[in-house]
Amino acid sequence: MNPVNIFPLIGVGDVVIGLSLGSRLFLIAVGLSLIFGVLGVLNFAHGALYMLGAYFALSVVTNVVDNFWLAIVVGAIAVGIVGAAIEVVTIRPLYERAESDLDQLIVTFGFVLITHEAVRFIWGSQPYSTPMPDALNFTMSIGGSQFTAYRLFVVIAAALVMVGLWLFIKRTYFGSLVRGTSSDREMASMLGVDVPRLYTAVFFAGSFLAGLGGALAAPMQSIGPNLGEAVIIDAFIIVVIGGLGSLSGAFVGAMFVGMMQSIVPQFFDAGSIAVPFLAMVIVLLLKPEGLFGGIGE
Amino acid sequence: MSTQNDGLVDRIGNVGRQAIGNGWTTERFALLGLLALVVVSVGPQFQVYLFTEFLIIALFAVAFNLLYGYTGLLSFGHAMFFGAGAYGLAIVLRDYQSAIAEIVGTGLAPLATFVVGGIAGVALALLIAIPVGYLSVRLEEIYFALITLAFGMLFYSLLLQDPYGLTNGSDGIFVALGGVELGGTEFRLAGRRIYYYITATVVTISIYGIWRIVNSPFGTICKALRESPDRAAALGINVSVHRWMTFIVSALFVSIAGVLIAGFSSVATPNEAHWSMSATPVVATVIGGASYFGGPIVGAFLYHYVRWGISRFPALEAYWELFFGIMLIVVVLYFKQGAAGGLAMVGAWLRNVQAAYDRGGANAATAFVRESIGEKLGSMMSRSTTGRSDDGGTDR
Repeated sequence: MNPVNIFPLIGVGDVVIGLSLGSRLFLIAVGLSLIFGVLGVLNFAHGALYMLGAYFALSVVTNVVDNFWLAIVVGAIAVGIVGAAIEVVTIRPLYERAESDLDQLIVTFGFVLITHEAVRFIWGSQPYSTPMPDALNFTMSIGGSQFTAYRLFVVIAAALVMVGLWLFIKRTYFGSLVRGTSSDREMASMLGVDVPRLYTAVFFAGSFLAGLGGALAAPMQSIGPNLGEAVIIDAFIIVVIGGLGSLSGAFVGAMFVGMMQSIVPQFFDAGSIAVPFLAMVIVLLLKPEGLFGGIGE
Repeated sequence: MSTQNDGLVDRIGNVGRQAIGNGWTTERFALLGLLALVVVSVGPQFQVYLFTEFLIIALFAVAFNLLYGYTGLLSFGHAMFFGAGAYGLAIVLRDYQSAIAEIVGTGLAPLATFVVGGIAGVALALLIAIPVGYLSVRLEEIYFALITLAFGMLFYSLLLQDPYGLTNGSDGIFVALGGVELGGTEFRLAGRRIYYYITATVVTISIYGIWRIVNSPFGTICKALRESPDRAAALGINVSVHRWMTFIVSALFVSIAGVLIAGFSSVATPNEAHWSMSATPVVATVIGGASYFGGPIVGAFLYHYVRWGISRFPALEAYWELFFGIMLIVVVLYFKQGAAGGLAMVGAWLRNVQAAYDRGGANAATAFVRESIGEKLGSMMSRSTTGRSDDGGTDR
């Protein structure tokens, strides 16, 4: 019995694993939430973009240069460009249409199908894994439980993204444009904000974050064509619990779901999948705007 | 038709004459549809099998569209009722077959079990739809889609993790329909042709039932709610109660499709209730055209047969989803009427061509064809060059 362990049932390792699962989910959810908060579009294809980030990083590492850090950056930017293209070509024509929320949802669902097949066409159906960068590929031990150092790195990276994004939205000029457009699109447009361009930029940023999440998580998971469909549902749970459009809500929601995935199955097996959905239903019924406030909160 | 005789034969004859006499009327479509059902039943076994599945998806999509196209609510959790129907049948078949055989005798037991199982599946869906619908219709648009998705996945996780030892987890429950003995010969209910007759009958009656509903005062209120819930409320309609009722009716018909799919595929698995199954009627309905009653049927036909057609080419086999993804986007962006709208447009155009021909012969008809195509191209060009214009801040 290790005397340092103050959690006799929950190991520190489980917490780190839960937080690292939550971190990758945070990077998808925060982009999803940002896009919804500013554009009012619920992007069904966001999980597909996350998956593309993992595949792009994989291809860079295996085919171009064997540099993991470069692969992450290239992957995330490439996904951002894909997202911006989706916005310009298929979502922009729908802003003018009244009652277009459901149309946007269906169009982005079309991209779920397209990406799924495109990925199978390019990379095939077999699962891949990306090797961990050597610098972080060692086992750490805290309080008697062990985990890979890379997982801790992912947690720190996600926290840095959260802080950076918060500062960006709160403190920069561009951030104030984003907040202004989010609260009143017509007024922002009249004050001279180029709204369509801002929308494309936000869609780029949201997709970039999803791609970053996918690329960062690539060494922690097996990469296959169904990855996107699996994570988008988790992302929906998170943004609903945290509040659609809320950045801090995405953070708290993601950590909640990540911890659920790593810790709950150890205590009771039956129902561990059901709990997050139950939480989603309860939040939607009692507080549909989520547990946290709107954009920039 | 000088004398009006109320005899049944004459009445059928009248419907037939009207159908043939008045051009492409509803009666004519219905007659053609029934004729197609009969023709298919004598086709090759595999085609019968394929058509059976199409009919089930068509019922699923038509029932879903009662809520989406007619009432304006997009549910991403209808697979829950599809699954409920399938599991209702499967559980009754597994646990109560011998009890039912004791009551009705072994000869008719399989048929009786099928009927009881079907009723159980619909009852289970009703039991779920009443509370789920009551809670879900308080939300609108995206939030309605999200809460139905959450309820659907909640149901899916219960089926998968099986906390009460009822659903046999991810393996699901085997569904063996058995056979009925009549006059010395055995009719296997799961036989492809016999199951086709059962499916065709049930689906035809169900779709006719939905057709009656959408053309009743109930359906008119649905359409009013789709166009403007506020105005409907101002006219004295209880918006959430009516949406709740529509949700339940839609769920019941979806569960009938679920019962049929369990018998068709001989198994009920949690996949029947997974959210990707909820996407099936969405894709079929949007591609087919949600604003037409027949749209989901056309969409289901495309969904099913394009998929089958693509699978004929081994090189393309795996990529049928790509086609539907592109179709989905094109339809939503440029062609909101869907494939059924396209058919209606082509039909109207052909009628105009014929009218031109009746007026001035072949020259007039070709002139009309040339003119109308030129007009169409012209309007498409102008639409693409006008681009986006600001609407000046309409309330949304």
